[in-house]
Amino acid sequence: MSNYKIIFTGPVGAGKTTAIESISDIPPIKTDASASDMTKTKKSSTTVAMDYGIMNLIDGEKIHLYGTPGQERFDFMWDILTTGGIGLILLLDNTRADPFQDMKFFLDSFQKFIAETNVAIGVTQMDLSNKPTINDYHIQLQGMGIKPPVFSVDARVKNDVSILVQSLLYSLDPGIEV
Amino acid sequence: MKDRHKSPLKIALHGMDERAYKMMVMYLQGPCKGAAVVVEDLNAEVDIIDADSAKAKALLEQRLTESDRPIIVLSLQELTFDNILYVKKPVKIDNLLFALSEADAILSAKKKPQHPVGSHTKNTAPLQVQDSIAETESLILSPEHNLVKKQTTNTDEQKKTSKHQTAMQLDEGKFSAYIGSVPGLDVNDPKQFPDAAYNSKDYFQGYVQSALMVAEAKKQVMRLNSGWKSLIIFPHNHEVWLDADDKQLRAFAGVAMNKISAPKMTLIPVESNPASIQENLEKFHNKDAFLWKLAVWTSKGRYPSALDIHRAVFLKNWPNFTRLVVTPHALRISALLIAGPRTLPDIVEVLKIKPQYVFVFISAAHALGLVGQAKREADEIIQPPAIKKTEQQGLLSRILGKLRANKS
Repeated sequence: MSNYKIIFTGPVGAGKTTAIESISDIPPIKTDASASDMTKTKKSSTTVAMDYGIMNLIDGEKIHLYGTPGQERFDFMWDILTTGGIGLILLLDNTRADPFQDMKFFLDSFQKFIAETNVAIGVTQMDLSNKPTINDYHIQLQGMGIKPPVFSVDARVKNDVSILVQSLLYSLDPGIEV
Repeated sequence: MKDRHKSPLKIALHGMDERAYKMMVMYLQGPCKGAAVVVEDLNAEVDIIDADSAKAKALLEQRLTESDRPIIVLSLQELTFDNILYVKKPVKIDNLLFALSEADAILSAKKKPQHPVGSHTKNTAPLQVQDSIAETESLILSPEHNLVKKQTTNTDEQKKTSKHQTAMQLDEGKFSAYIGSVPGLDVNDPKQFPDAAYNSKDYFQGYVQSALMVAEAKKQVMRLNSGWKSLIIFPHNHEVWLDADDKQLRAFAGVAMNKISAPKMTLIPVESNPASIQENLEKFHNKDAFLWKLAVWTSKGRYPSALDIHRAVFLKNWPNFTRLVVTPHALRISALLIAGPRTLPDIVEVLKIKPQYVFVFISAAHALGLVGQAKREADEIIQPPAIKKTEQQGLLSRILGKLRANKS
């Protein structure tokens, strides 16, 4: 059996754990712990290793869903996690001080992986903070020379996460038929 | 509380999950005009506790024994405690500001021991709130807090259910019934392609698009009167408000405007906030989501006459699909057009789908200004590149099948 995986990344509190939970067929295995650094001001607990969920396909194949730890001091794990990955889901929290800086940081960090596969971006918490707009993200991305899908996402809503992942897969190959 | 706008009360929040915590932080910053700021527990002057949380009792006991800071509890239940301020949920700005003002008074009293602390620790009874309402109203209704800013408060934002609802993902089976058809026209017959175009200016869509452009250019809230239902445009928030449901809009979208109905269209500035808007926040729509579905219902499977069907089109960026009606194959068409320009018949051929799915998507994306027609000669002369098939096509197809089957 092959080992396929989709990687979820983004800053602390962007909704990676929740997004995995939304589409996983098993209760996700979380490795949250009480936050002890600056993360504490954002969340009482945070992912210190990784989150893990599974999508069971009809033929018995399993798609592994991995969430990277949000804290930058765990970025040494990112290379290991992405090896053999199908593509990247980047979640950004619109209430953070500078979501564009977050976006640039993660796109730069996963540059090699994105070049080999693709990325789809979900912007969370837009009901709490409607600026920057999705169009503002596209303008920023234009400056970076890429045109990935960028959607408003409520990580708790399965349909939102599903559409985001579908866009990633079609970006890899628009010819896929269901 | 006047000085507090310069030096806000320092608050610690307890018993709230991440989302509630974040919302309260923003609520204090926005609607409460920065009257208080959330800080770490050690630096706080006042505690706010969600009394409906599972750990509320323990938290309250702990706070009462370990700290002499003023405590504000938020609860759905009517609570009466001595020495604790109470604000009923859902939290109203006036009530929270009043409780903060009371907490501030308690802190001041502690610095002046001649005033007994107990004299300030009362529940926020309705009569006591009146003064603070007047103060808060003067803040909200002051010139700098105009109509548009009031619309953007976070509490209002969350009541705009239509605006934030997730996408409807249509499959081929539901599609025809959803968009309707034009009598006597088979848009899927290539021989009828020349007749399968429509001019948005002949429909409500065209008037809405013009009105949106005017409101945006003038940065002015405008009302489009059509002799049907009023449409109010809020350019600052990229929102529209329509006093009609989707079924009514779908029916009206397909009606061609004639010489009798068109002159009834007027666009006028809106200076005051109609009460019906605040009472019907669910009728707010994101401007793009509204225009998208209006174009889908106007198109009925046709393509915009502004486009030359024989010239390649390109997509400027992906539409925000989680907040739009996802027509059949819309994601595939987007992915294909993001990769490079193609003619509409070419998209039909490459993706092996019915022309109506391409036309309706192009109509909606064109209405949002996302579609351009390639002007470079090379785009017409050179055949677009064949789509690159991945080795994992079967696997990706199975994942997509799983995701599509598990819609919620």
